[in-house]
Amino acid sequence: MGLPLFNASDDPGPSFLHFALRAGLVENPIGSGVEGRHATTVIAVRYVGGVVMVGDRQATSNYIASRDVRKIEAADRFTALAISGSAARGMEFIRMAQLSFEHYEKMTDTSLSLEGKANYLSPIIQRNNLGSPLMVIPLLAGWDPSHRDGRIFEYDGAGGCYERRDFATIGSGTPFAESALRLGFRADLDRESALELGALAIYEAGDNDPSTGGPDFVRNLFPMIITLDENGFTELPAEEVEARFVAINERRTQSQGIAGGSLR
Amino acid sequence: MSNYFYVSPEQLIKDRAEFAQKGIARGRSIVAAIYDVGVLMVAENPSASLNKISEIYDRIAFAGVGKYNEFDRLREAGIRWADGTGFTYSREDVDARALANYYAQHIGDMFTEGQKPLEVEVLVAQLGTAIRPTKLFRIAYEGTISDEPRFAVLGGDAETIKGRFSASEADLEPLDVTLRNAVAALAGADRTIDVADLEVCVLQDTGGRRTFSRLTDERVAALLGT
Repeated sequence: MGLPLFNASDDPGPSFLHFALRAGLVENPIGSGVEGRHATTVIAVRYVGGVVMVGDRQATSNYIASRDVRKIEAADRFTALAISGSAARGMEFIRMAQLSFEHYEKMTDTSLSLEGKANYLSPIIQRNNLGSPLMVIPLLAGWDPSHRDGRIFEYDGAGGCYERRDFATIGSGTPFAESALRLGFRADLDRESALELGALAIYEAGDNDPSTGGPDFVRNLFPMIITLDENGFTELPAEEVEARFVAINERRTQSQGIAGGSLR
Repeated sequence: MSNYFYVSPEQLIKDRAEFAQKGIARGRSIVAAIYDVGVLMVAENPSASLNKISEIYDRIAFAGVGKYNEFDRLREAGIRWADGTGFTYSREDVDARALANYYAQHIGDMFTEGQKPLEVEVLVAQLGTAIRPTKLFRIAYEGTISDEPRFAVLGGDAETIKGRFSASEADLEPLDVTLRNAVAALAGADRTIDVADLEVCVLQDTGGRRTFSRLTDERVAALLGT
């Protein structure tokens, strides 16, 4: 690639996607129709002072393709992005989002607002999902430094962006995770209760959805848990994550697999 | 028959060089220096928002003097080139030398073929890794590229400032000493520069991927000990 210089009238501005399209670094997707498979569960729960995100680690095609996939990534210091759907497109999507936020920051010497980041992703999702059979549905959560609040944005398959003030789920385990969240969510959750509830929701999804990986005590692989607060993106250490899932599992063993009563 | 005046190539180059030099000399200078664990860039810049120094990539920074609109366009092109190259290949394939060569070619082309030469001088700084050295590339208004071993000065007054800075240079020194030397060289003996009129940036490892940071006035004052 040569030095990408543009005239003021046709400059692509601080958007990396627009520049990449102009420079031919990315192609518009070809094909049509939607392959509606997204074997995953990732949830996000708001609490007072931040957001908790929990995601399973299993990649599924016809068989289990991988057991230690990271489906939640830091898009920048205060923003996390999770994906469900086509793994290849999802990875490209996360790379494009990360690069775009950083590109904007370097070009303009200011950070995009959290809402700006959420809106920026809409046409990228639309471009991918309406033009290709490999569908991607992301989930964006972050700490908003200007509103001093944790915020969650979910998307539909056509790129529509909706802010959620409680919780959001993506992936095939959604019905089970969402049920747990609906029963357990309160507006005044603190960090500890949000972590507890989030882990339980993923445990439920892993228990009921064959395409969602629950805690794997054989390989010592556990869903990943992250928090977003005024200190930014923090991934919980492996021992703490393990302890949480061991505790849930022990409760479940004592009750012989019956969930009832352990939610509250 | 239209009026046609012969101008010798020597005269043409001389005129163009004079034009570019005059434009560059109107602005203030920049000093960049390698210190013990990083690269320091100091600009005399009364504006707090129209920056002369900028982040290009994880370990690469840009500095420009002369006409703001001209070097800012080069800065933007550099960020696009770096992000585009890293996206196509890998982050570790983004090399300051390649970018400095593109700048040199473009600035050189504009000098000989453009309507007018660019009235800019730019610097591409790279913080070294295991596979790449720490580098300062200075590209002059006519496209000459030079690889400066320890420090570089950009701007109309470069030779004078260079003389003042080299006098105070020994082994690689810590940031505070290097900053004091750089500011003293920019100011000269009979002048002091207000901290608010300094734009100070560094490339230094802090554990993360990105190494560029812009130092606040408080931090600069603390380092200068004023």
